[in-house]
Amino acid sequence: MRLILSDDLERSRGTVFFRAIFALPFLIWLVVWAIGAFFVAFVNWIATLFEGKSPTPLHDFLARFVRFATHTYAYLSLAAEPLPAFDGKPGYPVDLEIAGPVRQNRWTVVFRIVLALPALLLVTVLTGSGSLVNASRFTGQLGGYTILGLAAFFGWFYAMAKARMARGLRDLIAFALSYAAQFWAYLLLVSDRYPSSDPLTAIGPLPTRSDPVWMDVRDELRRSRLTVFFRLALAFPHLVWLALWGVLALLAAIVNWISTLIAGISPQWLHRFLAAYVRYQLHVTAFLYLVGNPFPGFVGAEGSYPIDLHVAPRERQNRWTVLFRLVLAWPALLLASVFNQLLLVVAVLGWFAGLFTARMPLGLRNLGAFALRYVAQTSAYVFLVTGAYPYSGPCLEVPRPEPVPAAPVPPPVPAPPAPPAQWPA
Amino acid sequence: MAGLTRRLPRPPQAVAVFAVAVLWVWAAHALWDSTALPSLDLPHLDPHRFFSDSFLHRSATFERFLAIENLLASVTLVAVLVVYARRGHRLVRESAAGRVGTGVLLAMLGFAVVWLAEVPFGLVALWWERRYGVSHQGYLPYLVGSFLGLGSKFVFVCLGFAIVMGLAGVLRRWWWLAAMPAFVGLMLLSVFVSPYLIPETSSVHSPTLQAEAKELERIEGSGSARLRVQDVHRFTTAPNAESTGLGPSNTIILWDTLLHDGFNRSEVRFVVAHEIGHLAHEDPLKRIGWLALFLIPAFGLMAFFTRSRGGLGRPEAVPVALLVLVVVQLLATPLLNVAFRRQEAAADWAALQATREPATDKAVMHQLAVKSLSDPDPPSWIYAVYENHPTIMQRIGMADAWEAQRP
Repeated sequence: MRLILSDDLERSRGTVFFRAIFALPFLIWLVVWAIGAFFVAFVNWIATLFEGKSPTPLHDFLARFVRFATHTYAYLSLAAEPLPAFDGKPGYPVDLEIAGPVRQNRWTVVFRIVLALPALLLVTVLTGSGSLVNASRFTGQLGGYTILGLAAFFGWFYAMAKARMARGLRDLIAFALSYAAQFWAYLLLVSDRYPSSDPLTAIGPLPTRSDPVWMDVRDELRRSRLTVFFRLALAFPHLVWLALWGVLALLAAIVNWISTLIAGISPQWLHRFLAAYVRYQLHVTAFLYLVGNPFPGFVGAEGSYPIDLHVAPRERQNRWTVLFRLVLAWPALLLASVFNQLLLVVAVLGWFAGLFTARMPLGLRNLGAFALRYVAQTSAYVFLVTGAYPYSGPCLEVPRPEPVPAAPVPPPVPAPPAPPAQWPA
Repeated sequence: MAGLTRRLPRPPQAVAVFAVAVLWVWAAHALWDSTALPSLDLPHLDPHRFFSDSFLHRSATFERFLAIENLLASVTLVAVLVVYARRGHRLVRESAAGRVGTGVLLAMLGFAVVWLAEVPFGLVALWWERRYGVSHQGYLPYLVGSFLGLGSKFVFVCLGFAIVMGLAGVLRRWWWLAAMPAFVGLMLLSVFVSPYLIPETSSVHSPTLQAEAKELERIEGSGSARLRVQDVHRFTTAPNAESTGLGPSNTIILWDTLLHDGFNRSEVRFVVAHEIGHLAHEDPLKRIGWLALFLIPAFGLMAFFTRSRGGLGRPEAVPVALLVLVVVQLLATPLLNVAFRRQEAAADWAALQATREPATDKAVMHQLAVKSLSDPDPPSWIYAVYENHPTIMQRIGMADAWEAQRP
């Protein structure tokens, strides 16, 4: 099963403005369909236990239900523009390709609900749809904010202003929908494949970006059981050091804000200091949340950790965006706080996985890295290390080409090497 | 044999070691003499005169089990650290933190392994204390609290090893000479701030007790100290008190089990007088002095035994250093206990002088023994290895001796 994205990002302001009202009939129909799907799923469970494979009519019914739910939520959350069909037929700009019924291991069928619990944690933070199976208290954290909800909320304002959906927000929503669809398909026995949380493979081809703050992941997936078990305690000295450094960083950020407002560019030493702080923050959180394996150093040195942050040299920034930086950063900060919740779930699941298998699952690691990158970009934006707004969607990152000096006339610059394969297994 | 010869100190070094040893003995003697205690001929009292047979049997059983269990825990600790000293250096690959950071990681992992090895013993001890009604802490809260407590322990481990490894990187084999003042400074800081870090404490609300404490401070000649109550009754029934802090942070902590569980006013007053005695004698500072004295051989041995791994500047040497540190600590504990018992006896004497109530002293000791299920006259080996206070019978004997000397 995979998500197919053919949306062109164009939006009509009229339909965007009334999106929630237009989506209402589809939501009502989804609830009715969900009641039917509940009973069909139970019959399907018994049938699959006996046959070892879902009967085709039941499989098709449930597959259509999952597809329709995806269409509806894609429409509601502005990941797609046209109204969906009521019958869950393929062809929508945010669509699902679902394979036919296959044989399934009966043991995994018997214990499907239990096996789906870890994925339920993730889907709850991503979309909140896990609350349908009584995880509403967990969803209630942060006032019920979810990745999907926040991205749709901010996307609404963006689309109203520009008559286009922001690519990052659209891709983020698509990723959340893809995971939710995989979860429901797995739970309802439409698929026997465990949901993959890897944002790099969830929505098809990804954009290649050269942001001024970018992350590179060279981490192996091996984990030491000893350091996994004691991860929280081992990170404690780093957290104390990070808090102390954070006090200084806050003061430095205030000085940086005033300096940048006056000069239009950060002083070199403040840029370097704050970049090191943001990098150290990334190293520590990567270690704490098990996205990285080795114990990080205490100075945030570039190239010292396999989950690393690269920061481009300082650049001139628009003084208006500097003046209102905290106001502008508010949406990103809100989204980053939900990404932090996601990281917590990644850490809990990764802790168990690391203890039992001495490895971090690739999907979880990449999801954690994705969340870390967004949080780091947000920190860098808030601290005026960069003027570039955090990119919320999954993407492939390549180093920025070195700036070419204006004078004297430089020799021809060789083409940069081909971008490395991102976030290898 | 050749290797052993190579390890033996050369003559100039031997002279230096000898000079340090002489200085050490002189300092230890001076520190010992600084705690004034009249030469008393304490009578050997029969505990059966003060305690029932059933209590003596019950307390002896209770304490002996804990002592043996503690001994087994120490043996396990050393065994685990021997294994860690041999294999721990492989964990270097789990670090991207450079030389010092990797050493810090290995030190923390060493303590983590020790925690894992000691948890079963801790649970057995808790089970035993619960069985005898001395503790009512749950097993899960104990485990969770102990695990989370590792975090704060790791901060200090991190700081300590960062200093040692940083110095070893610069001073090579002579790091320990520079580390001594740094660690004494850290210990001073730690004792100074410790009253503010003790959890669940509050002010003593009784104005009478506050006034009595002030009067005792005047009599015993100590500086002013804060009087605080620590809420511990949820975990234990045992009564206790302690004095901590330095100068302006001097604090006397009374457990709430002491205030609300059968001790009358004059008994509490006697306990406060004992703690003020500690502050008047500057015992917190002297304890740092004793610990600093024992750090000298500990650091010297650490420097000596880590040479085969390239010295303590190398992270691979940290597991060996941990083993040496723990072994020296285990060996030093009985010796330190001798010094600490002397301080406790001097504080008892000061309390007797201040309150002039030997009967209250005896009543306090009786209550302490009964409520803590403490063996009033433990076997010699338990006394030597684990007791950092005089035995209950010795303390009762001191009250008798004071009474006999009273003009």
